[in-house]
Amino acid sequence: MSAFVLALVVGALFALGTFLLLRRDLIRVVWGLAIVSQAANVYLLAMGGIELGGFETVPVLAGHGEGVPETTDPVVQALVLTAIVIGFGMTAFALVLSYRVYEEHDTLDASELGDRE
Amino acid sequence: MALQTLSPGAESTLVIAPMLIVLVAAVGTLLLGTRPRARAGVSLAGGAAYLIAVAAIDWYVVLAPDAPGAATYQVGGLPAPFGITLVADGLSAFMLTMVAVIGVASLVFSIRVLPELDRRSYYFPLFHFLALGVTGAFLTGDLFNLFVWFEVMLMASYIFVAYYGGPQHTRAAFWYVALNLLASAVFLLGVGGIYATTGTLNMADLARRLAAPAAYGIDPGPVVGLLGLLLSVFAIKAGLVPFQFWIPTAYRAAPPPITALLAGATKKVGIYAIIRLSFTVFADAQIGVDLAVPIVGTVLAGDSPLAFIGAALFVMGTASILVGGLGAVGRDSLEGVLAYSSIGQVGFIAVPVAIAATTTVPDVRHIAIVAALVYALNHALAKGMLFLAVGAVRTATGTSRLADLGGLASRSPLLAAAFFIGSLSLVGIPPLSGFFGKFLVFDAAAQAGSLSVLVLLLAGSLLTIAYATRAWNRSFWGQRTSAVEDAIADPVQVAVLLALAVTIVAVGIGFEPIYRFADAAATAALDTDGYIDAVDPNQTVSGVDGGSVDAGAGGGGGGGETGTGTINTTDGGETP
Repeated sequence: MSAFVLALVVGALFALGTFLLLRRDLIRVVWGLAIVSQAANVYLLAMGGIELGGFETVPVLAGHGEGVPETTDPVVQALVLTAIVIGFGMTAFALVLSYRVYEEHDTLDASELGDRE
Repeated sequence: MALQTLSPGAESTLVIAPMLIVLVAAVGTLLLGTRPRARAGVSLAGGAAYLIAVAAIDWYVVLAPDAPGAATYQVGGLPAPFGITLVADGLSAFMLTMVAVIGVASLVFSIRVLPELDRRSYYFPLFHFLALGVTGAFLTGDLFNLFVWFEVMLMASYIFVAYYGGPQHTRAAFWYVALNLLASAVFLLGVGGIYATTGTLNMADLARRLAAPAAYGIDPGPVVGLLGLLLSVFAIKAGLVPFQFWIPTAYRAAPPPITALLAGATKKVGIYAIIRLSFTVFADAQIGVDLAVPIVGTVLAGDSPLAFIGAALFVMGTASILVGGLGAVGRDSLEGVLAYSSIGQVGFIAVPVAIAATTTVPDVRHIAIVAALVYALNHALAKGMLFLAVGAVRTATGTSRLADLGGLASRSPLLAAAFFIGSLSLVGIPPLSGFFGKFLVFDAAAQAGSLSVLVLLLAGSLLTIAYATRAWNRSFWGQRTSAVEDAIADPVQVAVLLALAVTIVAVGIGFEPIYRFADAAATAALDTDGYIDAVDPNQTVSGVDGGSVDAGAGGGGGGGETGTGTINTTDGGETP
């Protein structure tokens, strides 16, 4: 069930990200990039397989309350952590860069960036 | 050579040495802050140490008579496939050597081309981080780690494209960043899908599982499509058509020594990743490909994903040759000509790789990979040198527009000589390194018996002659223009160019050892079993009947849900 919901979420995020990427406003393009990379992260997480875990997959829960909730493969969680950090840094850089583009071109409209040397 | 043998521990340390050296140089130059002279000194020392470390890898791991052929370093002492493995084999060593030569040349050049103001900024730390990303990408044996090194390399290159901060630079950088962020997301999709399908990301383990999917209880079918995703990401890095559009603007925006590095090193990362993944990892995958292409009517069929990769690379490679060649003929600046030329030249590298992927004859496959590698080496040297020459022209005259140049040959004969040798090498005149590159590519196409490819390669070569002649005539011959009249070429820059020119001639004249090296690299690229054995000697494909198979199959019947189970159970069964 949660896999189905996640599939819908990933699809919706990619659709939204692609839509924003195709806009003329550079800030929207950056948002689109951020959303697409987050969608990739959610997809990566889902690829670990969401299933009922046991204490051997989540050892920290052993001895703390009962049972383990549905969880995903720890390897993909580690991968996603790395990807999130990289994505965060890159989004910040892209935003700064778009401000710099605005300073140099006095516009954020992709079609008006023109050939200013 | 008295030092013929090296203990296994030392070999393993040697593998990580180039990475550590660049990392130390990067952090060292950061710490030195506002002292430009000390920064330049540390940078040069780092470059020299890198060159020595790579030469040591070349000799002790690949070329020495009793060399093992591959050495590994298990990061953190975690055994493969659980930890990250760094692998230096023939292919990696060949690529690293290429980067070391062009990298050091570009570094020495940088120290002269940058005015004092630039040297106070973060140029040198970024330069080393770029080299770190490239080095890591060549050495890693883990798919996700490859993604991380790509990002390290890209982050530095983003800043270099935006380095001068003018309108055209920020514009080029924004589209470069946007394209590559999107590519990174696609890379993650490929990585995630491959992990879900096979339950591993270690390249050696991946090759082993794909060669015997039934034994590991996996259904490898989706891997073909996922490989297609990865191929498009690598094609963006290599600048193959239809992903070539970022190259001209980005190459024109970045400082010339960095452009030399982008064309000479980071482009090769894309080529390397295609060769490594296609041949070392996916070549033995037991996946039947049977695909009818709708409009052309061709049917792609084969028993490994290579049939599919080969067809895609053929289209991209030949299109690159034509687009690059035709584009370069009409450019109005030296950088423009060279940027388009490098799109075409990467096509010349991709076509033999495509031949290697589609052929079923092992010998032809081997020769085609050798051809691709030798061509890549020539492109790194010649194109790197030409971009540096453009930097020298710009330092001397303040412009690189063909309309403003002319008569440089009489004003600075040595600079002209270097540019001339670089152009001839691109064209492929013997005895320069470019001749052997072209010769081997044509040879591979002839052996594969593909007439249409030969015709295309010939057309591409004629275009190369056309644009190289045009660039030379417009800028080095003819009447001196006002910009050229009082131009003074920087002696150190010219010395670097001449050193590279001599290297190009030397590679051509003493081609025998280079060929042996490329041959060893191609053997390493095609030797999947050797690669698996080097990374993880405890598990062999034939020993598959042991605990790991039962564990893998018992982990949950294949597909996305098996990941955790497979890894944990294998862990219990196989860790020594």
